[in-house]
Amino acid sequence: MKVNEYYRASSIEDAYLKLQENPKNVILAGGLWIKKIGQDCNALVDLSTLGLNKISETKDEVIVGSMVTQRDFENSPLIRSLFNDSIAFAVREVMGVNFRNIATVGGSIMGRYPFSDVICGLLPYHVTLEFYPKQTMSLEEYLEYKGKLNAILVSIHIKKEKGRGFFKKVKITALDFPIVNFAVSKVNGKYSIVVGARPMVAALAKKAMEYINSLSKISELDYKKAAEIAAEELSYLDNKDSSKEYRIDLTKVYVARGLKEVSK
Amino acid sequence: MLVTFYLNDVEVTYNVRPGEYLAESLRNHGVKSVKVGCNESTCGSCTLLVDGKPMMSCSLLTASIEGKHIITIEGIQEEAAKISTYFAKQGADQCGFCNVGFALVIYALKKEYKDPTTEEIKNYIVGNLCRCSGLQSHLKAIKAYLKGE
Repeated sequence: MKVNEYYRASSIEDAYLKLQENPKNVILAGGLWIKKIGQDCNALVDLSTLGLNKISETKDEVIVGSMVTQRDFENSPLIRSLFNDSIAFAVREVMGVNFRNIATVGGSIMGRYPFSDVICGLLPYHVTLEFYPKQTMSLEEYLEYKGKLNAILVSIHIKKEKGRGFFKKVKITALDFPIVNFAVSKVNGKYSIVVGARPMVAALAKKAMEYINSLSKISELDYKKAAEIAAEELSYLDNKDSSKEYRIDLTKVYVARGLKEVSK
Repeated sequence: MLVTFYLNDVEVTYNVRPGEYLAESLRNHGVKSVKVGCNESTCGSCTLLVDGKPMMSCSLLTASIEGKHIITIEGIQEEAAKISTYFAKQGADQCGFCNVGFALVIYALKKEYKDPTTEEIKNYIVGNLCRCSGLQSHLKAIKAYLKGE
């Protein structure tokens, strides 16, 4: 990995201007992915002194600075209080503590990594991203955004709502990337279903959600039916970790289990 | 570029490349207790404490630790000696390569948790791999150390 310059930004505007100077200038979030792939950069733009490492709340939202480490995120009482700890639980599944003390929440989101447990864990909920220059986008919109967004993530806003969540990461060993991961929620009586690492970035299973949310009375068979719809509507592929078929079979089991769990 | 930080409470200034990682910088300056195993942000052998938090030094850019406090095994010698006694009692000591990272992560665990559950201990040490054993002996040693038995 070659880096020509390490640049400590003095403000978010300063960081943005530095980013515009050269297409090979990159924002340093935790830096773990560029280490992994050995990415050459011109300048690494460090945001660590800009106060983006705080978690706060308003009446309606929990606001997470983009530079909050995954470890601080999973330990935050504000995050843990949401959806029976399921978002924090998802992040706790990422590698070890000595990794999550470096990795940031914003880095995992901005990379739109197919294997991201952070994205999968957040996607069932109302999550809005705030960027510099001033722009807001839901997490779902950002995942669907085509091309690279020329902006810096400032904060992640999670709407405070009453509901239950479920998260499951299937992996070969404790420190592995997921073969496939799942997040299911029931918030204000409505279900959301997310399947990630298929091995594409996490996505909502909208047809399955529409099916289960249209029912007035739900039985265990409906959980299975919704899981089958999710397995059918989303695209799955083979890679070295798992076959497409195994991912589909896992979806049928874990989505049904998740729906049952959040219905309790 | 110059980076100034505290190494075991002593202020030091290193001249490093902008893309250089802390494990390499420390070893270049004679701190050979920092062990690099996988160099892939996975095995945890290179773990040290940054402002009290365990981090993998193979994956932490030296430039990012300006002004921070770094603790290596030399900084916790007394506790490390205690931990190694517990490891020896359980036969958790084998080739010894992962011990330095383990000692630091266990020290951090003790500071962070008052009375951790088995799950919390496992979650805390999962990022430190021992290639010789099955980690059961480590878990027993850590529990005994935390209880001071």
